[in-house]
Amino acid sequence: MQLLGAEVREVQAGSKTLKDAINEALRDWVTNVADTYYLLGSALGPHPYPLMVRDFQSVIGKETRQQIVEREGRLPDCLIACVGGGSNSIGLFYPFLDVTSVKMIGVEAGGTGEQLGQHAARFNANGGGRPGVLQGTMSYVLQDENGQIATTHSVSAGLDYPSIGPEHAYLHDSGRVRYESVSDDEAMSAFQLLSRLEGIIPALESAHAVAHTIKVAREMKEDEIVVVNLSGRGDKDVNTAREFLER
Amino acid sequence: MGRITEAFNRLHAEGRKGFIPFITAGDPDLATTEQLLIELSKAGATVIELGVPFSDPMADGPIIQRASERALKHGFGLQELLGVVSRARKSIDTPIILFSYFNPLLQFGVHRLARAARQSGIDGVLATDLTPEESAAFAGELRAHELDLIFLIAPTSTDERLELIARQASGFIYAVSRAGVTGTRENVSAEAEKLVKRVRKFSNLPVAVGFGISNRDQVVDVQRYADAVVVGSAIVLELERVAGGSDVVQRIGDFARDLLPTNE
Repeated sequence: MQLLGAEVREVQAGSKTLKDAINEALRDWVTNVADTYYLLGSALGPHPYPLMVRDFQSVIGKETRQQIVEREGRLPDCLIACVGGGSNSIGLFYPFLDVTSVKMIGVEAGGTGEQLGQHAARFNANGGGRPGVLQGTMSYVLQDENGQIATTHSVSAGLDYPSIGPEHAYLHDSGRVRYESVSDDEAMSAFQLLSRLEGIIPALESAHAVAHTIKVAREMKEDEIVVVNLSGRGDKDVNTAREFLER
Repeated sequence: MGRITEAFNRLHAEGRKGFIPFITAGDPDLATTEQLLIELSKAGATVIELGVPFSDPMADGPIIQRASERALKHGFGLQELLGVVSRARKSIDTPIILFSYFNPLLQFGVHRLARAARQSGIDGVLATDLTPEESAAFAGELRAHELDLIFLIAPTSTDERLELIARQASGFIYAVSRAGVTGTRENVSAEAEKLVKRVRKFSNLPVAVGFGISNRDQVVDVQRYADAVVVGSAIVLELERVAGGSDVVQRIGDFARDLLPTNE
């Protein structure tokens, strides 16, 4: 980002994770609203940002729909994507929502355990996830009994956030999309497996989707089609991966 | 008629302007908060804003963020916070409003909150991040319990939005002096005065101005055109400075008195 000319500021407030960076960005924006453009790389935050980000990200879903028909002559049986704020997943899912034969699974960060603070699985009611309001959006939020927002954990920074894009909350409640979670360990195994078998190093975020795909694919018939979204490259994660694997 | 309206009517009849101090509940602890409510009332507060600490205070600058962090270490909930209000209520008649982000209120339950707040002697609620488009259910619960719903307006609010807010607001309207978060500032912007004039086209409610007001000169200047002035971060910063001393409550009372015009 600095190479491209940006000034990068570290966030010292709160728990110093993604949510605190968003708080700081919103504070800066409301202070300098006359000459500042606010943007967030996820389908989160106040209206209309979740819709804008969904529409921009939906290019991936539109191209997937076109390309799979060109290659296979039909639509896929299942779509799988990781869900932090939920931009890559809503982008993949959105153009398929009207096709009821296409199953969709969003994969959240299961982290190291079920307790509040150990994961970022917002749809895990036992883990402290329930509807709440954070950063201008009502959605599922990881929080304590007093409505204070919880700290989260995931080996992947991009999934390490206590809330989820509001459209995912809707798709969860309507039952159109199923949401599952996989642990840090499972994601890290999938990260290594895909690297070794395909020579593709996935982002640790996307490795969550890969991990769940491995589980789901075992239950599917050989001629069924599953699409997994590799939303990012793992180059950025090699240091995290080394630390994790050398533990 | 609620206590807030009565308080402003009384001021108006006497040709005076109001003073609204803000403190964060539980900073430095709930026992001190109870004493501070009483002391600020004695110091001449028209209304007291009691901040509900929140983990993610997006609309607040560093001073009130730190106060929230200090308060949250005590791990109390709204029930305990309202207990402090009911105890202070035995000694004071000054209106008290809750100044909160919406999530702690929502998790407590809006119906339960309205009832408990009313019983404890709270007079109104300001939910910083509750937009007027989403406030109908909450407003209904508050109205049913004769509690005022106070809204923020900002220099960036359009006339259409001011009108929408004016239709739902009661008690008073809180005008944010300039675009930005809470915190002390060198100057109060000229935008504040324009905003107050603009909102009066849509509402007869008293208008208070806050965000960034930290000394007597600024208080006097704002009271020239607004019905009341809100001082938050300056008081919270003073509290941070004197906390741990033996005479914290007295010193905050003196600090508040020093903010007011000398003829008061």
